[in-house]
Amino acid sequence: MSTKIVMLMRKPPYATVYPAEGFRAMMGMAVFEVPLCVVFLDDGVYTLAKGQDPTGIDMKPLSAGFAALPDSGVTEFYVHDQSLAERGLVPDDLVMPVTVASAAEIEKVLAGATAVLPF
Amino acid sequence: MLHMINRSPLGCPSLESALRVAANGAPLLLLEDGVYAARPGTRAEGLVKTALAAHPVYALEPDLKARGIERVIEGIRVIGYDGFVELVEQHNPVPWL
Repeated sequence: MSTKIVMLMRKPPYATVYPAEGFRAMMGMAVFEVPLCVVFLDDGVYTLAKGQDPTGIDMKPLSAGFAALPDSGVTEFYVHDQSLAERGLVPDDLVMPVTVASAAEIEKVLAGATAVLPF
Repeated sequence: MLHMINRSPLGCPSLESALRVAANGAPLLLLEDGVYAARPGTRAEGLVKTALAAHPVYALEPDLKARGIERVIEGIRVIGYDGFVELVEQHNPVPWL
């Protein structure tokens, strides 16, 4: 089986270091062309919400970093449909095009992974 | 007492716990990830409306802006850091981590 890393993003941006560290790990793996895909679940979907302006809390917008990942060769993004719906969000509210996936579809993505890295 | 909620209502039961304990009329402050509760249309909206019926609810503007939350549930008062300081001066803060 070929290597495939799945990044499982479940935390909202800014309050903890998890999403930023996940992003850093992705950039590192992208440099070495490690095949990876990114799954956004639960509050992790907020990481991709449009309109983020964290200058007032002295941070950089994490959403812009994720939106630029395709330039580094990371192109597979899955967002859990129910996690979006529970937060009153639709795909148009996100900063980038993603594959909206059911829990069963996400289970298949996780099952196909060499390793799942949680952030 | 000022009940301070800094965790997302869909990721953590802080807001629910605070509401079980808070006396009627005690102010609630949503800050950091707590501001996700202020967003209209989430699964937590009913809980927040229940809170608004019994408490003044404040949300910290820099944290709303950081997270791209442009609209808040009607009745929530949006405040800046100066308003935050005023609340803490007027009420003993209780953080719900």
